[in-house]
Amino acid sequence: MTYYEIKKIWLRKGSRIALGLMLAVLVLILYFIIGENGYVNEKGDEEIGFSAIAKVRALKKEWAGELTEAKIRGVLEENVRISNTPEAQSKDFQQNDMAYSQKQGFLDIRDLCVYAYGGFNNYDYYLPDSLSPDVAVDFYPNRIKNLKEWLNTEGKDQFSEKEKEYLISQYETLKTPLYYDYQAGWKSLFQYAPAVISIATLILSFLCAGIFSGEFQQKSSAVLYSSLYGRDKAVAAKIKAGIMVVTIFYWGVVLLYTGLVLGILGADGASCQIQASSEGWKSIYQITNWQEYLLIVLGGYLGCLFMLLLTMWVSAKTDSAVAAVIVPFVLLFLPSFLSGSSVVLLNKILGVLPDQLLSMGQVVEYFNLYEIGGKVVNAAVILLAVYPILTCLLIPVLYRVYRKKQVY
Amino acid sequence: MEIKMTNLTKEFQGVAAVDHVNLTMGEGVYGLLGVNGAGKTTLMRMLCTLIRPSSGCITCNGKNIFEMDGAYRRLIGYLPQEFGFYPEFSVQDYLMYVSSIKGVRPAVARKRIPALLHQVGLSRAKNKKMKKLSGGMKRRAGVAQAMLNDPKILILDEPTAGLDPNERIRFRNLISELSSERLVLLSTHIVSDIEYIANQVLLMKDGRICQAGTQEEILRATPVRVWSFFAEKKEIETWQRNYLVSNVKTLPEGVMLRVLSEQAPCREAKEEAMTLEDVFLYWFGEKAGNHDDVL
Repeated sequence: MTYYEIKKIWLRKGSRIALGLMLAVLVLILYFIIGENGYVNEKGDEEIGFSAIAKVRALKKEWAGELTEAKIRGVLEENVRISNTPEAQSKDFQQNDMAYSQKQGFLDIRDLCVYAYGGFNNYDYYLPDSLSPDVAVDFYPNRIKNLKEWLNTEGKDQFSEKEKEYLISQYETLKTPLYYDYQAGWKSLFQYAPAVISIATLILSFLCAGIFSGEFQQKSSAVLYSSLYGRDKAVAAKIKAGIMVVTIFYWGVVLLYTGLVLGILGADGASCQIQASSEGWKSIYQITNWQEYLLIVLGGYLGCLFMLLLTMWVSAKTDSAVAAVIVPFVLLFLPSFLSGSSVVLLNKILGVLPDQLLSMGQVVEYFNLYEIGGKVVNAAVILLAVYPILTCLLIPVLYRVYRKKQVY
Repeated sequence: MEIKMTNLTKEFQGVAAVDHVNLTMGEGVYGLLGVNGAGKTTLMRMLCTLIRPSSGCITCNGKNIFEMDGAYRRLIGYLPQEFGFYPEFSVQDYLMYVSSIKGVRPAVARKRIPALLHQVGLSRAKNKKMKKLSGGMKRRAGVAQAMLNDPKILILDEPTAGLDPNERIRFRNLISELSSERLVLLSTHIVSDIEYIANQVLLMKDGRICQAGTQEEILRATPVRVWSFFAEKKEIETWQRNYLVSNVKTLPEGVMLRVLSEQAPCREAKEEAMTLEDVFLYWFGEKAGNHDDVL
């Protein structure tokens, strides 16, 4: 039964178009990723492609190691030296690019300095060019100092005292020095993961929306419900088929995406703390790139499964694939319209909506905290605890709704 | 095998589509005859457990069919009026899928499907996609799916609707072949289908079974006689206004009318033997405006 239910989904022309669309999205993303990971040669010309990626990787690998005071000092010294060369001071862009080519190896660490020595929410790209190497000693203390200053000013009303204590404690307990390695593969993977997972979810919603309503639209429900297993095993087979399609499609896409990105850019830096890159510098989550990856793909799978079961429930309830397919669109796009509000409660609610599961990379970058029973917990914990339960609860509800249907 | 309906009623927004039907059926072919909207499909859907009755009950060998659940559905085969299918499936795949939901083991289904396809004349079309089949072929595939579990109760809702005369004859013969040792309930508004294959005729009007019995019993119980006579063309409207006219045959010098009346409508009228078509007209006459429907 499940085999034929899956066959019903895949045989539709729309399903094959959707699959083609997903592959096109992956190709486009790879194109962007390769373009973004270019190499600037000594002449100041940009090179794009696999050899360019290899050259950048080799340069960055030279700076791999613990980010000790000495290493930060070395980066600041080298950065200032290059910034003071005639090429860097020149008004000719080509000359500037020649200077830039010398910075490529330590650019990631230089970026960390932008955050460490700037304000909590300030970004001044040129700040490291004017820093004295003597400030290297403040690299890690500044991270905590910036947070504390922000919590006393802009972030003052956004958190309770307990939450503030939690944030500071997470910063203070981070093990330093951080280990740095070339990690472009992981960073690009994380950058486009929300887009890949969201598009996969939307395509899956399109594939799965008709699993239940299709029987009524094609008027095949009369034969289905009048058969021996029409109101039990056949309904279970539909749910099973939906879950299998979601699982196979999702993991197929995610693993293909992972394999391609890491295959092109390399998987180096898997064990680096996420704070060892500018994207994760402010994060309160003490995890490595590999652990963030697991969080992103497992969270994405959970979110995808939850949204798809919800889609199937609407499909079963309304007998309309159109109504069903709207569900993931609303769940994905409505929160983004409401985000950015200064209303703390609204932000807290938005922080635990299912769309967050599709972008766990952002969840680990944000300070979404919740006080439950006097204990402060972060959004990831809530998301990963609540949604498996809700997803499991949806299955019997969906089964019950569909098996009780009448065919008029 | 006995199906019994007791005070069976189904209301939709206060309107009774099936109204206190009491009926007992055993093995044999039952022809359910009525105009569109008489409640035939609703009655059949309740018999297939697709709709729950508003009141009353249906029992199978004394047990409520809705309480029997799967045990009852194991006994039935159903061809709906609007036979839906999965357009991208081949005939073979479609029948394999229906076998699985009917609880027919794959090994049994693999043997049974070729035999059924042969019986319904679709052997050569087994790899064709369902959407590529002609109307008649689809109905035959529909009968094949209804027969997959070798049902003891076969319910066919308007199985010949939309078929050309050749297909209809073929279809009637097929149903006759399949009808032995089962209860077959066949709904239609095409009188000739019933005349050829039904042992028992059920006339349904406004949600009620108004007549039930063998064709002879129905004919005997209809309190009217049939007359034929010659009339002028200009008189047709007057006759139709005053009598139920079952046939108007145009001749070079006028028309030959077939009229239902207790008494001879005119001195020249000659009494004719009553047919099921006349009975249909008698019971459903006010609604049987379309002569094409009464074949």
